[in-house]
Amino acid sequence: MKKLYVLILAFIALSFLVPETAHAIPAFARKYGFTCTMCHTAFPKLNDFGQRFRDNGYQIPGQEGYEKNVFEIPPPISMRTPVGFSVYDSKQGATSGFNVYGLDLLAAGVLHKNISFLLIYTPRIDEPAGDYAGPNNGANPSQLGSMESANIVFSNIVQNALNLRIGRFEPAYQVFSSHRSFYIMEPYEVYTFTTPANSYLFSDNQMGVEATGHFKSGFKYGLGVVNGNGGNPDNSNYKDVYLNLVQIIGKGDGQSAGQRIGVFGYYGWQPTVLPGSVVAPTGETNGSGNKPFYKLGGDVSLNWSTLNLEVLVMGGNDDKALNTLDPTKDYRYSGGFVELDWAALMNNRLIASVLYNWVTPPSYDNGRSINAYSALVRYYLGDWTAFNVALHGEYTYREIGTTNPTKDNLFTVLVDFDF
Amino acid sequence: MKRAKYFLMLAVLIAPSSLIAQGSPKQQVLPNITTINVHSLGPQRIGNLPPVPVPPDNPQTSMKVQLGKQLYFDTRLSKDNTVSCQTCHDPAMGWSDAGPTSTGIHGQKGPRRAPPVSNAAYNPLQFWDGRAASLEEQAEGPMQNPVEMGNTLDNVVETLNGIPGYVEEFKQVFGTTPITIAQVVQAIAAFERTVVTTDSPFDRYIRGDRKALTPLEKQGMAIFNGKGHCTACHWGPDFSDGRFHNLGVVQTGPSKVDNGRYDVTHNPADMGAFKTPTVRDAGLRPPYMHDGSEKTLETVVDLYNRGGGDDDPNLDPLIVPLGLSKEEVKALVAFMRVALTSNNPEVAHVKPIPVSELPK
Ligand code: HEC
Ligand code: HEC
Repeated sequence: MKKLYVLILAFIALSFLVPETAHAIPAFARKYGFTCTMCHTAFPKLNDFGQRFRDNGYQIPGQEGYEKNVFEIPPPISMRTPVGFSVYDSKQGATSGFNVYGLDLLAAGVLHKNISFLLIYTPRIDEPAGDYAGPNNGANPSQLGSMESANIVFSNIVQNALNLRIGRFEPAYQVFSSHRSFYIMEPYEVYTFTTPANSYLFSDNQMGVEATGHFKSGFKYGLGVVNGNGGNPDNSNYKDVYLNLVQIIGKGDGQSAGQRIGVFGYYGWQPTVLPGSVVAPTGETNGSGNKPFYKLGGDVSLNWSTLNLEVLVMGGNDDKALNTLDPTKDYRYSGGFVELDWAALMNNRLIASVLYNWVTPPSYDNGRSINAYSALVRYYLGDWTAFNVALHGEYTYREIGTTNPTKDNLFTVLVDFDF
Repeated sequence: MKRAKYFLMLAVLIAPSSLIAQGSPKQQVLPNITTINVHSLGPQRIGNLPPVPVPPDNPQTSMKVQLGKQLYFDTRLSKDNTVSCQTCHDPAMGWSDAGPTSTGIHGQKGPRRAPPVSNAAYNPLQFWDGRAASLEEQAEGPMQNPVEMGNTLDNVVETLNGIPGYVEEFKQVFGTTPITIAQVVQAIAAFERTVVTTDSPFDRYIRGDRKALTPLEKQGMAIFNGKGHCTACHWGPDFSDGRFHNLGVVQTGPSKVDNGRYDVTHNPADMGAFKTPTVRDAGLRPPYMHDGSEKTLETVVDLYNRGGGDDDPNLDPLIVPLGLSKEEVKALVAFMRVALTSNNPEVAHVKPIPVSELPK
């Protein structure tokens, strides 16, 4: 029993240490000769312009068809790596060390008018040493090898109103992107919270197809059909669906100006009998006994000058057949976060932010409840075209569980570079 | 490959264009450059201007340029001999006028502001609404515009054919008599193609003189190319995408409603959209915008910082509130006002040709 407890703790501590990979795409900046703040409040968080550029299939709105395609520009490849030093302090003791927190390899570009693509590969990182199996005997590499994104975008099938993304992509319901958060060490906890016997993860990029549209009135939608297993082959014949609706009030896109409110819902299925008897050459199985789960939530983004307040609240419900902890009832939880970002100095060279995360599981699972308080400061070294280096300091105090909670502190200073 | 060609052309051009500026007296045929339009290459970096694109059917020659210059400053092109191109496009006023909109014959006020003639040669389309495809086509406009020069093209040709000095010059340049209107506009356009500003502090900085810009101006450049999103439209060497956008500029002046590009295309998306003007030398020519409604560069930046004018249902999607601080506005304005103001003696300080030296 004690051993199990230690194992769970170790796992939690490690999942804490695996940073969210994140992206900003200097290949675009290089193509146009822009500095990062054209599209980012400060990288990697998108500003209104960047959001509209993304919504338009990586084409500057109004320049569709005039954009240089990937063959007419320098290789559209980018990399992002945060490297630095962390101090982790928990009940069990303290650790510290230098780390490479991740590596993203990105390629993106326009292939043809209204046809573009995005590829993000994160190689598996087990290092420090090549013959070292990695933390937890290789079960938890410091970064997973993952084709995080591989999608093609068909834009403006109906001008602004219908754009299609196919492949693996960041779903539209992640209005506050887990990949473009300023926070490198602290995730949006409610995004990464897992429910029993369910492989769906809110923070994951999904495989499938998504329709998005945006309108002059400030209304936006995202509607998708996905496997719901992240990067893995599907394990049932049931597909998941989601809908995300957003309204922007005032000028802007809600990222760096204007006020944005939204609601989202995700309805998915999880097989209870695995594996199925049929395995396709492409890896899918026909797992059966599919049981439903859903997530519902709302989000608000308020902007004033260079202050941005982001609030997201969501709840989840898994069918009782998926509730291995108490099969007599559905598994229900809720959670969310509040983040306040401030951009300061010329050209937003300084970012300061505070973030509060909470997750409230059902009472019989309250050993996994989370309250986390984070703060960060990022200073960008320059206004260069198509690359930047940020000095990043981030601190999180986290409590897990309610009675006699584990408390830990993680302090990280790192250099985040992207080119 | 394309790029190599482009640079070759650039090299070939730079030498002779400096000769034109000195007004070499000999008839000298300059190498012909096919119309390469920077705008057809898609969004690009801000930088030094490439050689001017010249249409194959109107090659630059030094005598043609000189003839065009005379016509440009000659009030006899107007109905009552009071107005020349210079009246509204004065070299001393950044090749524009005092504004807010132009004043033509009999003191009539036009509905729009005079855009600069300098660097107009790089515009893929001329006028605020792009209704003329070339400088040649454009030049016919003001002569027959009742509130500008108030003339007819037939009358212009008749007047010029009655001036022996011009007949002789046109014959030398084009080899034929009598003078035709096509020749008149070709000569004017050839002159306009020499009105190019290439020597601003920004240009020197791009050519490698790291001290050409002050730290404030450099910050302004970074904002222009970053947080301000200015290069989303004011891109490329001439700081313009050559396309049309609605910024929600409040319509002022004689014309109560100005549909802009819509009147040319009848495409609802173009309602209230105007051509992106170059911001090179903008410091020399307040007030700003198609109706001259913004008095200073500061108020222009304020407009952008607010996210454009209010209540325009057709506001361009690239226009969003910017959250620029006072210091950032100051830097941005310094970049435009100082760093983008050129000092090409032959362009910035062209002296009008005195009446006594015009052909008789
Ligand atoms: C009475 C004032 C006036 C006179 C005289 C005048 N213009 Fe203009 N010019 C204007 C105005 C106003 C516009 C913009 C009109 C519009 O866009 O509808 C303009 C536009 C232009 C443009 C287009 C520039 C651009 O960026 O689109 C050029 C080139 C030009 N004029 C050249 C000339 C030439 C050459 C002459 C002499 C033959 C001339 N103008 C005479 C007022 C004048
Ligand atoms: C959406 C495209 C777009 C963006 C972005 C943009 N501009 Fe403009 N700019 C235009 C257009 C179009 C006009 C003319 C509008 C009109 O007259 O109605 C203009 C006019 C101007 C003028 C007046 C020039 C003159 O001669 O009248 C200046 C100066 C200027 N812009 C500077 C800027 C700056 C600084 C920024 C960034 C803060 C910026 N622009 C961003 C399209 C844009």
